[in-house]
Amino acid sequence: MQRFANERVVVQFGLLILAVALYASTFQQSFSASDLAQSPMFFPRIILTLWIGLAVVALIQTVRTQETQSPIASWPRIGVVIVAALIYTNVIGSEGFFLPSVVFALICLPAFGVRNPLLVAVFAILVPGALVFLFNHTLGMPLPTSRFTYVF
Amino acid sequence: MLSALPEAIGILLSLEGLLVLVMGTVLGIVLGAMPGIGSTVAVAIVLPFTLTMGQAPAILLLLAVYAGSVYGGSIAAILINTPGTPQSAATCLDGYPMAQRGEAGLALGWATVASVVGGLVSAVVLIFAAPQLAAFALQFGPIETFALILLGMTCIVSVSTGSVVKGLMAGMIGIFLSTVGGDPILGEMRFTFGNWQLFAGFNLLAVVIGVFALSEVFIRASKPISRVSNLVAFSGIILPTWKMWKGRLRNLAKSVAIGNVIGVLPGTGAATAAFISYAEGRRSSPNREGFGKGEPDGIVSSEAANNAVTGGALVPTMALGIPGDAITAVMLATLTLHGITPGPKLVDDNPTLIAAIFAGFFVINILLLPLGMLLSRVAAPILRIREAFMMTAIVILCAVGIYFVRGNPFDLLVMGGAGFVGFLLRRQGVPMAPLVIGMVLGPTLELTLRQGLILTDGSFLAFFTGHPIALVLALAALLALSLPLLRSLLSRTAS
Amino acid sequence: MKLKYLISTCIAAVVSTSAAMADGFPERPINLIAPFNAGGGTDLLLRGLAPHFAEAIGSDAFVSNMAGGSGTVAASALQAQRPDGYQLAYMSITVSTIQPQIKAVPYGLDSWTPICSVAASPTLLFVSDDSPFQTAEDVVAAVKAEPGKYVYGSSGPGAMTHLTTVAAFAGLGILDDLKHLPFQGSGPAIKELTAGNIQFFGDTEVLMQRGDFRPLMVFNSERLENYPDVPTATEVGIAPPLNELYLWGGLFAPAGLEPEVTAKLEMACETAVASDGFRDFAANSGTVINYRGADEFNAFYRAQYESNAALIEAAGL
Repeated sequence: MQRFANERVVVQFGLLILAVALYASTFQQSFSASDLAQSPMFFPRIILTLWIGLAVVALIQTVRTQETQSPIASWPRIGVVIVAALIYTNVIGSEGFFLPSVVFALICLPAFGVRNPLLVAVFAILVPGALVFLFNHTLGMPLPTSRFTYVF
Repeated sequence: MLSALPEAIGILLSLEGLLVLVMGTVLGIVLGAMPGIGSTVAVAIVLPFTLTMGQAPAILLLLAVYAGSVYGGSIAAILINTPGTPQSAATCLDGYPMAQRGEAGLALGWATVASVVGGLVSAVVLIFAAPQLAAFALQFGPIETFALILLGMTCIVSVSTGSVVKGLMAGMIGIFLSTVGGDPILGEMRFTFGNWQLFAGFNLLAVVIGVFALSEVFIRASKPISRVSNLVAFSGIILPTWKMWKGRLRNLAKSVAIGNVIGVLPGTGAATAAFISYAEGRRSSPNREGFGKGEPDGIVSSEAANNAVTGGALVPTMALGIPGDAITAVMLATLTLHGITPGPKLVDDNPTLIAAIFAGFFVINILLLPLGMLLSRVAAPILRIREAFMMTAIVILCAVGIYFVRGNPFDLLVMGGAGFVGFLLRRQGVPMAPLVIGMVLGPTLELTLRQGLILTDGSFLAFFTGHPIALVLALAALLALSLPLLRSLLSRTAS
Repeated sequence: MKLKYLISTCIAAVVSTSAAMADGFPERPINLIAPFNAGGGTDLLLRGLAPHFAEAIGSDAFVSNMAGGSGTVAASALQAQRPDGYQLAYMSITVSTIQPQIKAVPYGLDSWTPICSVAASPTLLFVSDDSPFQTAEDVVAAVKAEPGKYVYGSSGPGAMTHLTTVAAFAGLGILDDLKHLPFQGSGPAIKELTAGNIQFFGDTEVLMQRGDFRPLMVFNSERLENYPDVPTATEVGIAPPLNELYLWGGLFAPAGLEPEVTAKLEMACETAVASDGFRDFAANSGTVINYRGADEFNAFYRAQYESNAALIEAAGL
C-alpha cells in the first residue's frame, strides 16, 4: 500500500493525468487553419505527447524505486506558510499591497519561530510601509492600493 | 567611430557622466541582488529619470542599471538560491551548493571575475566588430534560429540534476506553459478556457520567481528552523587567485564567446546563452564531474556568458536599429525620444554618442568589480538576520517585483501557484532549471518552426537542405543529445 | 443587525461620494495606463504627455504599465473598473477597435467613454531599398506571375502592421497570392526585410526610417510632406474603406463617466496636447499630433470600429 499511496507516486500520477486532460482539451476547440502544421494545436500536441510519455516513464521509475524524500519537520508550519503565501498573492490585486503584506508578515514571522510580538509588529508594519512610501509616494509607480484610500 | 572616441571619453569623464555610471551601477547591483526584483523592474524604476536627461547620460544610465542588475542577480542566486532573472538560474546550479559548503565569498568571486571578463570582452568586440557581427546576424533567418533553439533545448539534459527523465518532463511542462495564450501565427487562443487574463499567457518571470524563490521559502519552511541564522556564512567577496584559474581559462574563453555570439542574434537572449554555455562547460570542462555540486566552472560558464550577451545584444541594436532584447528595445525607444532615429545610419550620424555608449559600457564592466566588492561587504550583515525575517521579506519583495513586471495582479497569482507546484515538484527531485529553459525557448521554438514551415511550404526536410547553418546546428544538437546517452551505455556495458 | 447597519451606511457613503464627485474632481492623483511595457512607444508617448496633463488638470498624474495580450489585458481590467475618472488608458486603434472584434475580450464598442485623441500617424507599405519593386503595379505584375512566391511580414496577427499589408494587397486584389509571415514585434520583421526573407512590410513613417526602405504607398488622405513622390493608396486604386489607415490613439475612461468629469478631462487633455512642452516632445519623437475632443473622438472611434470590420474580414482573422 505504502508503495502506491505515497507523495511521490501521487504527484507523478497527477502530472500524468494533467497532461492527458490537457491533451484531451485540444480536441474541444475547432480552428480554421487549412493544413495540419499550421493548426494552433499542432505544436502543443507534440509537446503534450512527449510530456505524457515521459510522465509514464517517470511514474514507473517512481513506483519501482524506494527512495524517500526529505521529511516535513512541522506540518503546521509548512501548511500555514503555504496557505498564507497563496492567499497573500491572491488578494493584493483587490485589497492593495500594504494591508495584505502586514497580515502576511504577522502570520509568517511567528510561523518561522519569532516569538517577540514587538519585533513582529515592527517588521510587519515597517517593511511594507517603507515599500509603499518608496514606490507610491516617491517614485510615482504605485503598488496596488486598498479600497479605503489611495494613500496605501 | 573610433576617431570620435576621445570626445566620447570626455563625456564619460564629466561629472554627470561619472555620476550616472557609478550611481546607475550601484542601483542596478542593489536592485538585482534583491530576491524577486530583476532587470525589468530596475530599468522601469530609472526610466522616468532618463526622460529629462541628455542623450548620452540617458542611455548610459539604462546600460549601467541593466548591467548592474544582471550582475546583482547572481548575488541573490548564489547566496539564497533565488535568482531574480532567468539568466541567473544557471548560476544557482553550482553557486548555491558552493555557498552551502561555506564558500559563498569565493563563489561570488568567481561570478564577479567571470562577469567582468565577459562584459569587457564583449565591449571590445562591440567597439571593433559591430558592423561585421551585424552582417552575421542577418544570416540568421527563422530556420537558422529554429536550429539554434533546438541546440539550446539539448541543455535540458545537462542541467537535469538527478533524473534525466524528470528533467525532460520539466522541460516539456515549461514549453507547454509557454504555449498558453495567443497562437503566434494565427492569433487564436489556446488553453485559456475563457479566462481573458490568460490571453497574455503565463508570464515567464512570474513562473521563474515562483518555482525558484517562492518554492525556496516553502522548502525552508518544511525543514527544522534553528534559532540562529542558518543562512550562508558570508563576509564579502573573495577573488580567486591566479593559481586557481589554472585549467579553467579555456572554459572562460569559450563561455565568453558563446555569450557574444548568442547576444548578437536577435530573439534569443541572456538566459539562452547562460544555459547553452553551462551545458557546453558540463560537456567539455576538465572539471565536468563536479558540475551541479558546486563546481566553479559551472558558475564561470553561466556568468561569463550572460554578461557577454549584454554587449552582443547592443550589436544589432546599434548597427541595424533592431533591438537584441527587451532592454535594448527600451534604449532604442529612448533614443527616438531624443530625436535620434535608430537604424543602419545611426553610427555614421552620431559617432560621438555611439562611441560614448560603447566606451561607457566598457567602464561599467570595470566598475562592477570594485562596486560589487564594496556593496557585498556592506550587505553582508543583512544575511545574518534571522531566517524568519529573510523568508518573509523574500515573499514580500517577490510580490513587489512581479507586480511591476507587467502591472498585472494576475501574475502574482501565477507566481503563488508556481511556487506551490515548484515546491511539490522539487520535493520529488524534479529539477526546475529545465522548466525555465523550456519556457524561455518554447515560444521561439514554435514561432520559428511554423515560420519555417510557411517559408518552405510545409516541408520540414527543406529546413536543412537549403540552409547549411541550420544543418550544422541541427547535427550539433543531435550529437549533444546522443553523446551522453552513448557514454552512459558504454559505461554500463563496461561495468 | 449592527453589521447590516454598518454595511448600509458604508454603501450610502460610497454612493453619496460618487454623486458629489464631479465638483471636487480631481482630489487625488490620476492614473494613466499604458497597456504595453515600460519603455515602449505608447508608454513613452504617455510619459511625455503626463506632466503637461497633470499641470492642466491641477493634480498629480502618473503613468502605470499593464502589459500583455496586445493591450487587451489592460483594457479588459479597466473596463471592469468604476468610471470615476481617476483611471484612464491610452488605447490605440488596435486595442480599442481591432482586438475586441477578433478575441473574446470582455469589452467592446460600448465599454468606453472616449476623452480625447492625441496622435495619429498614417501607415505606409514599404520594401527593402534593393528590392526590384518601384511601384504598386510592379508588385501586382510580379505576384500575378508567380503566385505563392512572395512573403509579407507583420509584427503579429491582428497588429497594425498586419492590417496595413492586408489593406494594400486586398485592395490590389492579390492577397491570396502572397504568404503572411508574422513575427513578434516590428524589430525582427524589419531585420528579415533587410535580410530578404520577407519582401513587404507596413508600418508608420517613424518605423520605416529605421532601415534602408522604400515606400510604395501611403494610407493617408494626401501625400506625405517627406515623400512627395509616393502615391496615396487611393491614387494606386485602392477603394474605401481600405484606402486610409492611421495608427491613432487617445485617452479612454470606462463607460458611464459623468459628463462634468469628462469635460474636465477633455479640457486638460486639450491644454496638454497644445502645450509647448508636448509639442517639442512630439517633434523630437516623430509623433504626429492629432487632437479630437470627446464628442468628435467618440464619433470617430465608432466609425473606425465599424469600418475596421472590413479589414478584419479581409485579413481572415
